[in-house]
Amino acid sequence: MTYVTVPGAPLLEIRHLSKHYGTIRALDDVSFALDRDEIVGLLGDNGAGKSTLVKCLAGAVIPTAGEIYLHGDRKVFSTPAEARDEGIETVYQQLALVDIFDIPANFYLGREVMRDGWRRALGILNRGLMRKRARAAVEALPARFPNLDAEIETMSGGQRQVVAISRAGFWGGRLLLLDEPTAALGVKEAAAVLEMIGAMVSSADTDMGMIVISHNMEHVWSICTRLLILRQGRLVADLPKAETSRQEVVAHITGAT
Amino acid sequence: MSPGAPTGGVLSKLAGRVRFTAMQARVGVLIILCVFFTIRSPFFFTSTNLVNVLVNGAVIGIIGSAMTLLLVARQVDVSVGSAIGFAGAVFAVFARDYGLEWGVVGAIGAAMAIAAINAVAIIKFRVNSILTTLATLVAFRGASKVVMDGRAVRIEGFRFLGRTRFEVWGIEVPVAVIVLLLVVAIFYVIMRLTKYGQHMYAIGANPQAARLAGIPLERQVGIAFVLTGATVALAAMIVVSQVGAVSPTTGERMEFLALTGVIVGGASLYGGRGSVIGTLVAILILAVLDNGLVLLQVQSFWQEVSRGVLLLGAVIFDQLGRREAEVRMEV
Repeated sequence: MTYVTVPGAPLLEIRHLSKHYGTIRALDDVSFALDRDEIVGLLGDNGAGKSTLVKCLAGAVIPTAGEIYLHGDRKVFSTPAEARDEGIETVYQQLALVDIFDIPANFYLGREVMRDGWRRALGILNRGLMRKRARAAVEALPARFPNLDAEIETMSGGQRQVVAISRAGFWGGRLLLLDEPTAALGVKEAAAVLEMIGAMVSSADTDMGMIVISHNMEHVWSICTRLLILRQGRLVADLPKAETSRQEVVAHITGAT
Repeated sequence: MSPGAPTGGVLSKLAGRVRFTAMQARVGVLIILCVFFTIRSPFFFTSTNLVNVLVNGAVIGIIGSAMTLLLVARQVDVSVGSAIGFAGAVFAVFARDYGLEWGVVGAIGAAMAIAAINAVAIIKFRVNSILTTLATLVAFRGASKVVMDGRAVRIEGFRFLGRTRFEVWGIEVPVAVIVLLLVVAIFYVIMRLTKYGQHMYAIGANPQAARLAGIPLERQVGIAFVLTGATVALAAMIVVSQVGAVSPTTGERMEFLALTGVIVGGASLYGGRGSVIGTLVAILILAVLDNGLVLLQVQSFWQEVSRGVLLLGAVIFDQLGRREAEVRMEV
């Protein structure tokens, strides 16, 4: 897919982004830029504005003020589909998978491929093709699924998360948003998911950037290259991982500086 | 399931296991009933009687097909019985006063008007579909009596949909049965093979995921109510043609029979599950049961008892299956 790009502009730039709910400032004048191949960890306490920020980028929440630029081109999203069409793939905290569908059907949810000719006019699905493409994509991943045709509801929490992340990677946009990818997972499962994310980034021949939300600092620390810290809706720190420490990050999160 | 996870008791285990073969179980029940009634009554297994069974199930099967689609998307329409009464009344009155073709136009218009009211209330004003259609159920029962002035309206010349029969392989097959099979086939294709059907299952199973995936929930659900309206118009014309008249009670309790068929057929009130084939088999079970009990000269009150028991059993099964799924999700 080709997008409008301004030479030299960063992959993502956010300027003065705010989201107010009445008098509550969920997000207050946040600005930062993100380049391709960067994995940014977005940290903060509950209610710090992490999810709101990601939802603004994903088109699920419409910001009160501020601007979003992708490769230098200003974007305004009013639906998740619009953000997706601009190459922003989101993995939500509440898994956006359909339990009763198998992996291929979930990969193609809302983007179903139809058969050709008159059958396209009737909206007849091409399940064979969707299955073939999904299988090829899944086989290229480090994760292993015992059965591609199994319904999602038969899988464990970790497997589901891997399916959700694989789906985002499958569509290979330019910006991948992961909202609490390891929440509600056991230690072993979380490790598998993180390994999967790391493998996706290092193997990616795309110019994908990634924002990972978490309040588990260890998880974020293990995969990201840079840390953004939100507190009460404001961006209070923007630190390259190489130049900071866990103690400093925790201090920023809690406000004990 | 990990060790130590709560198990749902013997009954829900049974339900979970039976779920795998729910379709076979349904067909099995149908066959057992047929064998039982064949043994007990010499009149049951005759082509005339079996065709009768199909005719009795036809109208319910037609609206049940649309009802299955609605339940799959976590919607329901309990107004279909009154809608059949209203569309039938408009059909008969228009046919009497302006000619048959205007009757057909009137029936379709009436059914679509009710579908539109239901859809607007549910989609635009976000009223729960049970409450919306309960209101239209009552309102259009009254409206149909207004249209027919409280008295039955006879319509003589219209035999085709309800009373015409074609000979297929030596058996006289009524048009209504052919219409039923066509409607079931159309809904089967819609639900199993098309993008639209896929979207409806997704909407019922996880509306939030469907919305985030960019599926237009409102439009897809609206289309389902329009399709329901189409089956209502068809059903109304068949009923009026079969009886040769429309009365203030035409269509009464058909919503209950269709809903029973759909639920016994495996659709869940919680959305995401159901198939028109399951519904068709379930409606045949209900029709065979009714027919067989009449042949055995069982007091007709027992028909109602048997229907109620079937529905209750199916709903309990649905609930047990759901609990099973929830236990699995917690793992």
